[in-house]
Order: sequence, then C-alpha cells, then structure tokens
Amino acid sequence: MLAGLAQRAARLLILLLGVNALLFVALGLAGDPALMLAGEDPTPELLERIRAEYGLDLPAWQRYLVQLGRMAQLDFGVSIYSGQPALEMALEQLPGTLLMAVLSMGLTLVTAIPAGVWIGQRPEAASRRLGAALTAVAQGIPGFVMALVLIQLFVVRLGWLPSLGYSQPAAWILPSISLGFFLAPKLCRVVSAGVAEAMQEDYIRTARANGASMRFILWREALPAALPAAVALIGAQFAFLVSGVVLIETLFLWPGIGLLLLYSAQNLDFPVLQAICFVVAVLVFAVNGLADALLRLIDPRLRPATQ
Amino acid sequence: MRGVLKRLLAPLKASPQLALGAAALLGWILLLALGGLLQTHDPQLGDLAERFSPAGTAGHLLGTDNLGRDLWSRVLSGLPWSVGVATVSCILALLLGGTLGMCAAQYQGYPRTIINQLVDATLSFPGLVAAIIIVAVAGRGFWPLSITLGLLSWPVFARVVYAESLRLLAQDYVTAARVMAVNTPRILLGHLLPGLRPVLAVVFTFHFADMLVAESALSFLGLGAPLGVPTWGALLQESRDFLIVAPWLMAAPATAIALLVVSIHLLGDGLSALDRARR
Repeated sequence: MLAGLAQRAARLLILLLGVNALLFVALGLAGDPALMLAGEDPTPELLERIRAEYGLDLPAWQRYLVQLGRMAQLDFGVSIYSGQPALEMALEQLPGTLLMAVLSMGLTLVTAIPAGVWIGQRPEAASRRLGAALTAVAQGIPGFVMALVLIQLFVVRLGWLPSLGYSQPAAWILPSISLGFFLAPKLCRVVSAGVAEAMQEDYIRTARANGASMRFILWREALPAALPAAVALIGAQFAFLVSGVVLIETLFLWPGIGLLLLYSAQNLDFPVLQAICFVVAVLVFAVNGLADALLRLIDPRLRPATQ
Repeated sequence: MRGVLKRLLAPLKASPQLALGAAALLGWILLLALGGLLQTHDPQLGDLAERFSPAGTAGHLLGTDNLGRDLWSRVLSGLPWSVGVATVSCILALLLGGTLGMCAAQYQGYPRTIINQLVDATLSFPGLVAAIIIVAVAGRGFWPLSITLGLLSWPVFARVVYAESLRLLAQDYVTAARVMAVNTPRILLGHLLPGLRPVLAVVFTFHFADMLVAESALSFLGLGAPLGVPTWGALLQESRDFLIVAPWLMAAPATAIALLVVSIHLLGDGLSALDRARR
C-alpha cells in the first residue's frame, strides 16, 4: 500500500514536471509579456526595466531553473495583471469549481443510475429500447448547446431562473443541468449495459428461481456487477469536472477555475496559468487515486493476490 | 459488382442502427457536396431591409440575422469548415495515437513507460490553454486549429490501441509469426493493424463527433475560425447578442450541431454493435 502510494507520488512529480516544461515552452512561444505589460507605444527603457523586474532578460534555461526552484516552494509568483499571488488566485476559484462538480455529478448519479438499471432490466422491451434511443440522442447534444437552449428557455422566455453567478442557489440549477445532461447519458449506457449483462448470469436466474424480489435482484445483485465499469467512468467524469469546465463557466459567468483559465490565457498571465495547471494536476491526480481505491474496494478481482 | 454490393450492404441489413447512421451520413455528404448549389443567397451578403426575418419567411427558410443575411445559406457554408477541421484532427490523432499505442504494446520496459507517461501528461494538460497559445502564435485558422486539436487528442487513440494491441499480440497467430522470425515492423503492420481495424473504426467515429463539438466550442469562444467564417460555433456566438429578439439565430446552428453529432453517434453505435457481434 505504502509502496504503491510512493510510486503514485513519484508519477505525479514526473507528470507535473512534464506539464510544466510543456507550458514553459508554449508560453515562451506565445509572445513577449513585456510588450503586453508596457501598454501602448512603450519606450525601449520601459521595456528594459520591465524585463529586468520580471527576470525576462535572462536566457531561457536560467528562467526555467529559477521558476522551477520557486515552484518547488509552491511560489508561482504574482499575477501580471492583479499583482495577487497566483496560487492564491487559483485556490480562490476552487470552491466554485468543486461546488459545480459535486452538483452536476450528483445530478448525473441520481438520474443515470436508476435509468440505467431500468433499461438494463429488460433491454429488449419496447419502452426500454425507446429509453436507450433517447440516451443515444441525448449523448450527441453538446453541453454548451444545451446550456444555450436552457438559458433561452428558462431565463429569457420564462424568466424563472437567474443565469449568472453562484451567490443564490437558484443560479446553480441551470449550470448543473447543462453539465448533468452532458454526463448522464454516457453513465446511463454503461450502467444499463452492465446490468443487462448481469441479468443473463446464472446467479441471477438462481436468485429469481428462489423467489427473490425484482428490486432485490436489480439493486443488490445486478447493479454491483455493473459498478466497476460505472465507477471507472464516474472517476473520469469527475476528473473532467474539476479540471475547469471553461464553456459552461463562461456561459453562466460562474466563478470557477475554468473562467480564470480562459481569462488568464487570453491575457497570457504566465504565473496564474502555471498555478492553475498545478492545482488542476493535483486535483485530477487525487480524483484518479480515489477512483482507483474505490474500484479496488468494490471489485475483489483487482486486489493484489495475498498469500 | 453485385457481390461487392452485397458484401457492403450485409452489415447494414443486420443492424438497423448502422443503416440509419449510414443513411444520415450519406445525407450529410450530399449536403457537403452540393452545399454551394443549395445556398439560396450569398452567406456573407445581407439585405438590411430584410434583417431579423423570422424562420419561415418567404425566401428565407431559416430566417435572417441582424444584417439581413440568409441563415440557411450561412449554416450550409459553415459545414465544410467544421467537417474539415474534424477530419484533419482525427487523422492526425489516429496516426500519432495509433503508432504510439502499438509501440507501447510491442516494446515493454522504457518505451512503454515513457509513452504511458506522455499519454497521462497530455491528458492532464489543459487543452484550452494550448489552444489559446497556439492561436496567439500562429493566428486563427484552419491548420493551426486542426493541428492543435489533433496534438491534444491523440491519447484517446493511444489508450484504446494499446489495450487492444496487448490482447492481439498475445494471440496464437502473432506468436506463430514471431516463431517464423517475421520482423517486428511487419508483425505490427501486417498482423496487428488488420486486427485493430474494427476498434479503430469505432473510436474514429466517436472521436470525429468529439472533434466537431470541440471545433464549435472553440469557435464559440472566438478561438477557432477566423473572423467572418460562419462556422456553427461562430454562428452560436453571434446569436447570443440577439437571444431575445431573434431566438431562431441560435436554434438553427444548435440543431445543426446536434443533428450532425447524433447521426455520427448512430453510426458509431452501429459499428461497435457489429464489432461485438463478430467476437
């Protein structure tokens, strides 16, 4: 267990270094930040001063090493625009992103799992086939298109819901539905496929022959068989949610990591971008680790053979 | 001739889903090929006297926008751009991901570790940052966008190809080839690749749909198509300013994206059902 953890930590470190190096090269290609900082018609002296102040006059490899040394102490520098510490800025957006992730994942779970079990119980029945066809269609509708339609309907036409920010819970509804609508069909299909397969197994037939109720069979016998695949997908979906859903956050002006990401990328705000990448990498790593641990817990086949 | 046709049509008969998806695809290809002929107006030229005509107005099937430009013609003229970007980025992702996935399966040890790490790193790299930076360096446009999407999405192919190759490389026919001292490139290209074809077809189809959505999303954010090209994402972006006065401006491109993606998904579902039935 501990060895596994150490191995994971080592992999995270390599990963962070790789992402960091990529970002350094990419940002270096993006243009001269001194020009952006200096404003219109900069004098050469002003550019010189800015370059000296931010260490932009050093050769690239020196800048890379200096930056690496600072990052090892979790110092990402200050935002070029607001002067606020970059890591602080990224962490400030974290509650918004996590709230959205939990809400939309919750919505996805409570809709997709019952629907998947229902379809998987008798996939050949006409009503279930209709349900399966509907999920196939729903899967094809992009989340941001759905969000636009929802805004048009509930904000513009009906005026029932606010569309911006997250200060009031009513504003949480549309973003979570947009994301849930994007995530749920896939999960529903994985659950229904797993349940449908389990329903053909001998142990289910035995349980039915012994007079177990359909509810018991579906939720206690068939669903657990579908869970490993479902948990793997849920992990991937949650990792996607915490890594900044730029479009949905932009559409609803939701103060999350995605909004900051878009804003700082447009402004080429290097320190903030580095901090965001760091926070996202750690988050995704944590989510993947949790999903793996959960998988091991529910699927005995994955546990290392003991004795 | 007849035999070929029969062989091509046999899978369509077996799966109604595949038939439906193939029919829809044929329809889209027709639209793509005839696009210019079906446009009733110049997509860039508007008549200010006819601005904000709602959908169904005589002469303007889907209505007109704030400059009086015909929406039907604009939606049609956006199709080749989106499909082109999706095609180029998919092929790039397929070539990169397929090669690396096969190599990771064949060469154990360091190559495998490095490739898998590269996959993880690429997946955890925020794609939007890369997209914005490349746009800043190379400018908006067809090739920068297609190449960016391809370079960011190849791990999807690498993962699937890796897993499937591991399975295939353990099969007896590959072992037999190795015993007969067939060289490695020949095994990968001649023995492994044909076996990967069904899986690749399925992944390619779904990935194509994902790339279409990604293109429209980036254009929607103003990072994809150059200004003035009426791609569907750009049309959606323009429509946001007229959400109240002209809802049809949003409805048309939104429906177009959803319809195209759904028909490609149908095709993908059909292909994967076919693949499962073969096993």
